Amino acid sequence: MGALALQTEQLLPEQIAELLGLSGVPGEIVGGLIGAFLIANIMLTMTAIAGPWAKRKITAAFTDRIAVNRIGPFGLLIIIPDAVRLLSKELIVPEGVDRPSWDLAPIILPASALLGFAVIPMGDLGPVNIHLADPEAGLAIVFAFASIASVALVMAGYASNNKYSLMGGLRAVAQNIAYEIPLIITALSVVIFAGTLQMSEIVAAQGTALFTIAGVSIPAWYAFVNPFAFVLFLVANMAEIGRNPFDIPEAPTEIVAGYQTEYSSVYFVLFYLGEFIHIFLGGAIMAVVFLGGAAAPIPALEFIPGFVWFVIKIWAFFLFTQWCRSALPRVRIDQLIEIGWKGMLVLSFANLVLTAIIVGVII
Amino acid sequence: MSWIAIGALAVVGVGIPLGMMAASALLRPSVPEQGKSATYESGEIPTGTARSFKFNIQYYMVALLFVVFDIETVLVFPWAVIYSDAVEVVGITRALGPMLLFIGILLIGLVWAWRNGAVSWTKSPRATRRKTERGDA
Repeated sequence: MGALALQTEQLLPEQIAELLGLSGVPGEIVGGLIGAFLIANIMLTMTAIAGPWAKRKITAAFTDRIAVNRIGPFGLLIIIPDAVRLLSKELIVPEGVDRPSWDLAPIILPASALLGFAVIPMGDLGPVNIHLADPEAGLAIVFAFASIASVALVMAGYASNNKYSLMGGLRAVAQNIAYEIPLIITALSVVIFAGTLQMSEIVAAQGTALFTIAGVSIPAWYAFVNPFAFVLFLVANMAEIGRNPFDIPEAPTEIVAGYQTEYSSVYFVLFYLGEFIHIFLGGAIMAVVFLGGAAAPIPALEFIPGFVWFVIKIWAFFLFTQWCRSALPRVRIDQLIEIGWKGMLVLSFANLVLTAIIVGVII
Repeated sequence: MSWIAIGALAVVGVGIPLGMMAASALLRPSVPEQGKSATYESGEIPTGTARSFKFNIQYYMVALLFVVFDIETVLVFPWAVIYSDAVEVVGITRALGPMLLFIGILLIGLVWAWRNGAVSWTKSPRATRRKTERGDA
């Protein structure tokens, strides 16, 4: 049922174009722009909740303290004054920065992370299917967009004319290239099951029940089908988005703030924003590839809209990153390189070959 | 057709940071002071520029290795997509064999790089000496 329903479902731009009575290329452009604006705002809202509020609350809970609780319910309204405060800070341009590149980096980082959401199926909300585009090479595209972020980091690191920034930028590249390959190879081991790179089809392929224990059916999510790949992907994903224990491009106790040392005011906000959207993009890829996209875990809960499940899954990943932030020590740069090239790479190839053999034998 | 929608998100994705920059330009003060614009070097007066900074050769070594493996992932992509169909048509030996050989050659390359120390972090001789002198090497 899931496969057919998803295939016939219209994408967000088409739905908007139909609603406005437009057709052809103008309809696609207008529908695409409005749809893109909606998706960007969903992500901005989530970031606004995560950055100034949830992160503080979570860290406070982990360290047994009280965080923002003065303005509004649970201190939620801190988001508004914080946004104004951050935007109205003075922008200090350090001496000798490489000007166009220094200004471009804070645009590229959030833009690249947002762009990844173009192909992510975020599920239904009533009659609306929140999915902007569904190209056949979806999975390859989302990895391509997500890795543009390291270009922004290296631009920021180089242009800042600061030694800490340059080291942060170099570390960011070393880290991203070390974990990019395990990330993609592990995702490919899942593609073997699905037989497609199209996001909606990868989700649809997870729509059946794997097996039933005591009346509870376990869905055929790839996290349950191939848990080893799930763990590998989770670790590589944490490194790819630069969160603890792999936050060495920022490493506050070693290189001040890494590539963002020289950034202040709105530029700093844009880096912060880009990182959060990147975490959510990492969570979204995990959700689509391993956790059944926007599907409910058991059929009894299908009355809750898919979009809600999708948000729950992304936030579960966000909570996991924050848990690691409070619980795990940072790895050193030499350990990072060795874990990446000697451990993760070999394990991800082993996983790919084993999956291929098992799938080949079963078929 | 989906490229129009992806392009639209690219436009919005660049537009939002630009909009925030514009909003901030209206709100923020500008108080240029001497010393404010010096780059941060833990409170010291910066010595030299960052552009003449010497960094570890390892960054270059792993980048070289990455180029090889990244091209390799590009070649594994189409194989992974058609693999389960191919097994049904030509059987597991012909579907899996060539890919095993391909990955095997690459892994031999990785072993070679590993044994030559390309994936172990190079420590500067000075740092190693200092450590040895302190007696905690």
